[in-house]
Amino acid sequence: MDTYVLTYAAFNGLMVGAMLGGIALGLSLIFGVLRIVNFAHGSFLMLAMYFAFWMQKLGGIDPYLSVLIAAPLMFVLGYFVQCFVIGPLIRRERALVVEPISALLLTAGVYILIDNLALMAFGPNVRSTPSLVQVTSLMVAGFPLNTFRVVAAIAALAMAAGVSLWLARTDMGRAIRATAQNRDAAAMSGVDVPFVYNVTFGLGCAMVGVMGCLIAPFIPITPQVGLSFGIKSFIVVVLGGIGSIAGSLVGGIVIGLFESVASQFVATPTASIFSLGLFILILLVRPQGLMGRK
Amino acid sequence: MSLKSKCCDVLRGFVAAGAVSLGLCVGAAAQTTVKIGCVLPLSGGSAAVGNQTRAGVIAAVEQINAAGGVRAMGGARLEAVFGDSQSKADVGVSETERLIQREKVAVMCGAFNSAVTFPATELAERNKTPWVVVGAVKDEITERNYKYVFRINNKATYDAREQLDAMDLLAKETGKKVKRAALFYEGGDWGRSHAANIRKLGAERGIEIVLDEPAPPNQVDFTSQLLKIRSAKPDALILALYTPDQLLFTRQLAEQRLDLPFGVHSAGGGTEDPSFYAAVQAPMVAYYFVQEDWQIDILDTNKDPLLADADKRTRAALGYGMSAYVSQGLSSVYVIKDALERAKSADRDKLRDALAATDITSGPALFPGYQRIKFDATGQNTFAHGVISENIGGKRRTVWPSENRAADTKPVWPVPAWAQR
Repeated sequence: MDTYVLTYAAFNGLMVGAMLGGIALGLSLIFGVLRIVNFAHGSFLMLAMYFAFWMQKLGGIDPYLSVLIAAPLMFVLGYFVQCFVIGPLIRRERALVVEPISALLLTAGVYILIDNLALMAFGPNVRSTPSLVQVTSLMVAGFPLNTFRVVAAIAALAMAAGVSLWLARTDMGRAIRATAQNRDAAAMSGVDVPFVYNVTFGLGCAMVGVMGCLIAPFIPITPQVGLSFGIKSFIVVVLGGIGSIAGSLVGGIVIGLFESVASQFVATPTASIFSLGLFILILLVRPQGLMGRK
Repeated sequence: MSLKSKCCDVLRGFVAAGAVSLGLCVGAAAQTTVKIGCVLPLSGGSAAVGNQTRAGVIAAVEQINAAGGVRAMGGARLEAVFGDSQSKADVGVSETERLIQREKVAVMCGAFNSAVTFPATELAERNKTPWVVVGAVKDEITERNYKYVFRINNKATYDAREQLDAMDLLAKETGKKVKRAALFYEGGDWGRSHAANIRKLGAERGIEIVLDEPAPPNQVDFTSQLLKIRSAKPDALILALYTPDQLLFTRQLAEQRLDLPFGVHSAGGGTEDPSFYAAVQAPMVAYYFVQEDWQIDILDTNKDPLLADADKRTRAALGYGMSAYVSQGLSSVYVIKDALERAKSADRDKLRDALAATDITSGPALFPGYQRIKFDATGQNTFAHGVISENIGGKRRTVWPSENRAADTKPVWPVPAWAQR
């Protein structure tokens, strides 16, 4: 196995990993604050991809520009999904002093609903939305890297940094972190917990909306596309540490890098099995995830 | 024309119309409906193909009903009842159960995915319900000594053989032979059985398989696999991928400008799907060889009005015209109709016997491009064949078999490198 191929595989693994991490960011945030597994995460990604597709098809707007429209729209969508669909369940279960386990089932229902509505509305056909950017590969140290993937990877890193700063420096960010640490204590200190939940869910959706528009130029769009990303995101979040922004990226990169390099030695399905083996191994050693707090 | 004769004409017209409508009323009173159950992947990974097959089935049912239904059964109308397999074996089997037990269909067809068709046909066999296989190519589907399972289209071995036959034909014409081939295929039933057949036939024909790589489903990146192909340095790449994977792979292959002297040979799947061509830019698929399940340029050569009509109906339903899957769906219904005419009954056993005696040499059942449909003892149509097309000048032109090749089709072999395109 020559070093050129291995280095190229590593580069590529990094980019795929950062992309997976970026997609998982929203899931991690929602998971960390609301303590619910958002099964519909992939479906929100799919919606954003279709949004980018239709904006380009109908309005001639480049997927990179539609990020600016998709992010606020996805925020609003997420806000209202939390407000009207998941919120009532959390309120009801709080009386029983349990974690909202059934919210997991509820979001699974939301996922099935959204995916099938998309199938009804958009049909089963595979679509693609090429960006106006014509340079499809960048030469980095002699390796041709796909421009769109590079953009998605860098955007994921930038978004993670931005959200970390926002969480650390603003009042709303502090309120979100406080709610994540202890819901009841935050409520007693005057934090409007239901509002924080709505904003967090909206933010998570906005982040996945940004990634959806950014990956739309190179990932084929189908109503089922969310599922594969949803499952990968879940693995990435658990591996990186639930609720940790940096962990989400680290988790993504570990999985991406490992699968990319390992598949140079064994068949790709085998590499996927090994990567899940690695996942279990890491969790045995660090049950809280790579970057998670105990 | 005088005023009087005009009046007479009008009067005659009225009488004729009355007679026709009377005839229709009488017909309707005696009419029965024959239910055809059809399990197809209408959602899930293979939804695009499933819906095309469905359009073909509907087009054929409407054409047959408009032409007076099944004549031998007093103009019985056909009714297609669909079940959605969601591209999953377990769902496909329970839908089959529903159609056979609850809908009481006379005959079944479907189910495109081999992984669905294989267990579903077993259920049909147990319930003594004839099943006309549409699309699924897994060899074993017709190799279990079943009495109720019939397959019009190719089995996987035929597909693999045709791909290598085309390579041999082009080698014979030009003196340039493929020596090293790479295999890249989806990890399901279809991909794996295709790869196994290529491996076996390739060994017999002196083609070395330098890379043998299955792909897991729902990939988000094929760079690692493309790197492996690049380092294996094959003359030709043999692919078997479904549409979303095919689209991602095709794009990344073009972006990496990976040169393959004798090109990409796809076993179908994604490369036969019109939505794939709508989503991909033309230069990316230039010189692709595709094992087509129907004669891709048949609309140019066959002037049957029913073919044009089916094309029109498909266009109205899907936004694009006939495809292999549409023609296969259409063909299956015409084969069933032919059997109903001879069985003169919707009884499952009589229909099974009639299907076994099928011998069709003309008509819409042959729209996939066959010359004949006749099942052997295992239920396989031994006259099934596809064609191999090459994408030349943005059009898929039949290059194999040479009898089906149009006079103006000049195969490009070897294919030009990316730098020379």
